[in-house]
Amino acid sequence: MSDHQPPHRELPETSSTTGNKGITRRGFLKGAGITAAGTALLDGVQSLQQEAQAATPKGVMEYGAEAFPVTLNINGKEHALHVETRTMLAEALRIGLGMTGTKISCDRGACSSCTVWLDKLPVNSCMTLAVDAIGHRVTTIEGLSTDSEVHPVQAAFVRHDAMQCGFCTPGMVMSCAALIERNPHPTERDVRVAISGNLCRCGTYPKVFAATLDAAGQHATKA
Amino acid sequence: MATHTPHSTLDALINVAGDTTDASMKTAKMPIGIPGFTLHEEERTVPASEPPVWPINKDLSYVGKPQERWDGRAKATGRARYTADVQLPGMLYARFVNSTVPHARVLSIDTSAAESYPGVKSVHVIEKLLGGAVLRDPTLEQNRYPIVRYVGQPIAAVAATTPQAAEDAAAKIKVKYETLPFVVDMDQAREKDSPQVFPGAADQAGTAGGGGSSASGVPQTGNVHGPAVHKQGDVEQGFKDADVIVDAHYTTQVQTHSALETHGVVADWKPDLLTVYASTQGTASVREELAAYFQLPMSKVRVITEFMGGGFGAKFGAGNPGVVAATLSRKAGAPVRLMLDRQEEHLSVGNRPSSDQRLRIGAKKDGTITAIQLISFGTAGCGTGAGCAGPASNLYKWATLHVEENDVFINAGPAAAFRAPGHPQGAFALEQSIDELAASLNMDLLDLRDRIDENPVRRVQRQIIRESAIWKSRNPRANADVGPIKRGIGLSQSVWYRHLAMDSAAEVRVHKDGSVEVLSAVQDIGSGIKTVLAQILAEQFGVPPAQVEVKIGDTNYPVGPNSGGSVTTASLTPAVRDAAWQAAQKFLASVAPALGVKASDLTLTDGMVRSASGKFQPIAFRSAAARMDTNQVSAQSRRIPDYDPRKYDTYGGVDVAEVAVDTETGRIHVKHVLAVHDCGRPMNPVAVISQINGGVIQGISYTLFEHRLLDPNYGIMVNSNLDKYKIAGSYEVPKIEVQLTESYIGQSSTDASGIGEAAGIISAGAAIANAFYNATGVRIRQMPMTPAVVLAALNQPKPQMEAL
Amino acid sequence: MNSFSLADCTTVEAALSQLKNGAVVKAGGVDLLDRMKNGTDTPNRLVNIRNIRELRGIQSTPDGVTIGALTTLAEIADDPTIRAQYTILSDACGHAATPHIRNMATIGGNVLQELQCWYFRSAEFQCIRKGKEQCFAFSGLNQYHAIMDYGGCPSVAPSSSAVALLALNATIELTSAAKGKRKVAIQNFYVQPDANPHRFNVKADEELLTAIHIPKPAPGTRSAYQKYGEKESHDWAIADAGILLEMDGDICRRAVVTMGAASPVVRRSKEAEAVLTGKPITRDTARAAGKASMTGAMPLSMNGYKVQLFPIAIYRTILLAAGQMERDPSAAG
Repeated sequence: MSDHQPPHRELPETSSTTGNKGITRRGFLKGAGITAAGTALLDGVQSLQQEAQAATPKGVMEYGAEAFPVTLNINGKEHALHVETRTMLAEALRIGLGMTGTKISCDRGACSSCTVWLDKLPVNSCMTLAVDAIGHRVTTIEGLSTDSEVHPVQAAFVRHDAMQCGFCTPGMVMSCAALIERNPHPTERDVRVAISGNLCRCGTYPKVFAATLDAAGQHATKA
Repeated sequence: MATHTPHSTLDALINVAGDTTDASMKTAKMPIGIPGFTLHEEERTVPASEPPVWPINKDLSYVGKPQERWDGRAKATGRARYTADVQLPGMLYARFVNSTVPHARVLSIDTSAAESYPGVKSVHVIEKLLGGAVLRDPTLEQNRYPIVRYVGQPIAAVAATTPQAAEDAAAKIKVKYETLPFVVDMDQAREKDSPQVFPGAADQAGTAGGGGSSASGVPQTGNVHGPAVHKQGDVEQGFKDADVIVDAHYTTQVQTHSALETHGVVADWKPDLLTVYASTQGTASVREELAAYFQLPMSKVRVITEFMGGGFGAKFGAGNPGVVAATLSRKAGAPVRLMLDRQEEHLSVGNRPSSDQRLRIGAKKDGTITAIQLISFGTAGCGTGAGCAGPASNLYKWATLHVEENDVFINAGPAAAFRAPGHPQGAFALEQSIDELAASLNMDLLDLRDRIDENPVRRVQRQIIRESAIWKSRNPRANADVGPIKRGIGLSQSVWYRHLAMDSAAEVRVHKDGSVEVLSAVQDIGSGIKTVLAQILAEQFGVPPAQVEVKIGDTNYPVGPNSGGSVTTASLTPAVRDAAWQAAQKFLASVAPALGVKASDLTLTDGMVRSASGKFQPIAFRSAAARMDTNQVSAQSRRIPDYDPRKYDTYGGVDVAEVAVDTETGRIHVKHVLAVHDCGRPMNPVAVISQINGGVIQGISYTLFEHRLLDPNYGIMVNSNLDKYKIAGSYEVPKIEVQLTESYIGQSSTDASGIGEAAGIISAGAAIANAFYNATGVRIRQMPMTPAVVLAALNQPKPQMEAL
Repeated sequence: MNSFSLADCTTVEAALSQLKNGAVVKAGGVDLLDRMKNGTDTPNRLVNIRNIRELRGIQSTPDGVTIGALTTLAEIADDPTIRAQYTILSDACGHAATPHIRNMATIGGNVLQELQCWYFRSAEFQCIRKGKEQCFAFSGLNQYHAIMDYGGCPSVAPSSSAVALLALNATIELTSAAKGKRKVAIQNFYVQPDANPHRFNVKADEELLTAIHIPKPAPGTRSAYQKYGEKESHDWAIADAGILLEMDGDICRRAVVTMGAASPVVRRSKEAEAVLTGKPITRDTARAAGKASMTGAMPLSMNGYKVQLFPIAIYRTILLAAGQMERDPSAAG
């Protein structure tokens, strides 16, 4: 578990406006909106689908109200599935692709059980349209481990018993792993901030704090 | 003192241990008491078939030692499969249609547009509703459809090929209501001319886990179902005998369980078998209800709960989601998933009732309690179960007691058991009044409790508190800090009961390759019973717990306890240990021929097979297993009664809270909690601590934030989500220190008890309120303690208040 | 949620061409999708502007700073320039909602966020803001509602960032296909419910909020924002305060005091500002300013506590802005 490498690490990094603490931020103004890889992906998907749906004005990709095929980049792999415009990313993952590690609980972005990374940033997949994931790199809890290796945060969650019923756990892990990916030396305060949108009804927070700090320690020495 | 348990429904579900009837008995010396304080040995008469007595935890190898959660990795990697994660070929998705009005007669339901909607495979209109109280005289209401008594009451359901199609079709079902007058405010519901939730007297059978009311046949006047009266001695005389009387009024709000996984099932109705994947605290209870509802043999119903995402008391039985999903599946000929959404979860599947308590306590100068009188009202919506007299009845020794518990019906969803039913409410009142009593007697808070509390474990726990740094840092003078932020420390005690689910069984198998497995229908609701079962087998066979196969959560296995009332560990672990012991004896008999000895010459300890006669050097368990004369030996065992049920003690704990009260903003910050708790022999201390952390945090959340809000004019819950229904998050978590009082009572082969109820939620409210008093010199007798409530309390005329 | 068609646009021009026939703009989607899931909004067509790259980012100009409408709250909160020179905005964006939502929600969407009143958010209540006659809050549950300036609708301004932007004198840039760009000062952007209960702001349906311009603060400016809820983790404001102080040595030359959760539209308290102007910032002047902020307060049946809370929020935030007090542990974390 020590030399865990999430697959997306090999992808090129985006430019950074803030540049502090090695945080890779999606950037902004004038063009750096998505990664090189993401841009290629977006253009590829659009050109494919634009061929199928002609006569749309320039700069507009038209999606009808009926289900349609899309390709999503999840955990470093392309996945083809059918969605509707109203299909949320969480549902697309769970029902469309059978990736049920991502949970739906409040369905309004208030509990973060549905946390996935969109281009490395933790977001609520229950409040993200599946079509908004086109051209972006989605990382789910399934992408954080392989059969033989788990992310340091996952290992630490097990060591510290940072779970009870476990329903919030994938979301917690995604939030905490995102934290230490961008800040290898967090304080307990940083952990609290990172999971301030993650609800745990069993009340496992103290052990989530401890596990994440422990994982960060391990992470740092191995980086 | 006599023990009065106000919610005897729990006992109806869970048989309290009876007398031992086994003819062949032996005596056994057992450790009793608390190591470091009161540990000693006592002799018990136990069935001869019982395994040898375990020593205290420090002398065991796996049990009592910190153990990683057996399924921790599955949970941390997202591979754990919960009910909503189950995907079956051809599975349909179902949606309920729910009432939008609080009280109505349903005149007609038009499902035609839904039936013909693309993708719809079955539609069901509910004619028999589960949950809530029912009229004693059902002829008072005659209607084809159930009377609507709350917003969110399920009326019909649709199953379709996609969730979207089900949602669209459900929206096309037209329900015609004849609306009836309604009431959602408890105080208003108590008034004479209030609209009536039921046209006559109505009762609710107890639900698993202690929900519902014990008292049927009690008087009912208007919406007030009660009082259920419990009297011991002449309480008026008791007050006459008192030197001091404290008399106060307390109120608490309705809390919803808000488990992160909502209620739901995947039902697969096949001609030969109904299989139901359920998010439940009781696979047995779901099977029982489905078999009864559909009049199926129990053998034709299988319930599976691999993982479940929290229940806290609300998830017993099949309920409306279970029977409706099964019906839709039968009609459609395909499996059906029916998971509630968050709004439905708040409205229709349970809550903790409110309370309005008038508590009077009379005492002598030396603290001796001469009288306790509690008159309580509470609303469990259109159900019952709002009694909260447990703490007042069972925590302290009193000379006379008078309890009246009343349920007040309102047009809201029925309550369900919720972690220590009635006790957080009751302790909130009692433990504040005990503090007040101490103040008026000029006695130390702990000294008074030493005088009136007979429980030997809590006596030790108070000793630990007395010597703790946090308690020593407490300034006994209230309102001592001068700034706007005032620090205070308070405590509260809790009480829970030794309930047992006698219908708890397990099978243990030993295979020729040395693998061992345990099977039981019990479900792991997050407390970690899988890990505990693995530890027991590890202790018996000397293999690491991670290598034990644990197969649970399936009614195909031997019957397991319903996990409510802190019964699971206390009930099931002795059956598992007994089965493991018996399987080990069968294993020894199976290898004896190959080893050339009689089975009676062999023992299995620390993972080694040993010959008493010294015929051979010890052999590792796995090597010995290879010499079994069969591929598998197995033993099944069920829970036997407690060894000596006359020696009955309640469980409890003492919690200390330190708060910082921001007297200008009205925010209470809980900074530090010391939780000293008893769960008999802690089987896996890591998981016990997790549960106590959770109880403390859930208690803080209940005390400070959570509140189900019903609009008084329309009866609609306005905060049926997780942003305006406010639950403690990461910033609200204090430093929590947990200290376990390992306590041996000599009652079973594991001598384990439960922790779920006693773990902090009972005492959090009063501990915070008492700390608030210590900080400010003001009593706060209302929950939740929001800034509005806190500022109102502080605004009461008081000389030491700073001007704004 | 109802089904809908979606035009995914990659340029402003393309998006503007799609703004017709009741099509609704979606950016981060946090607010719109909440309303659609609740069933209060049922658009047949969305115009997705999330992928318009030209609308994303923070650009310093000689006059101040221009923030693209699609810049996320997290990006604004973490931006070093915003943190240093527009602290109040970084505070406001950094304490909105949750970290995950801040990664999704855009500044444009936050400024345009619709009311959080629970009656407004429920499909069961057809209220005055949805084109009907009635308000359900006055006689219903109003503990989180307005205490000032509410007229016929006491819902409170939901946008944290607007509290900061008002203090900063920001300008909202609106763009339409027909008329090109126009700029609206933020104090003129929101519509009081009594002026028109059916409109929240002056943006026309065919317009897109494309950018926000903030003038450079005067030398000596210090600013801060704090949000108070019932808890510190993810809560809606029960009181919040934006403070901007232009200091001349020890003397406050100009003060701006803004409030969100007090009224339906973010407001400035001229009374509080007057107390501070021309005086040194001390605990006494800050307290007096807080007290003055409640001039004209008319609490509803359940929110009298706000009249006590707001002066404290303002007092403590003035001292935070002035560097005389730490960030308040009672404020959102």
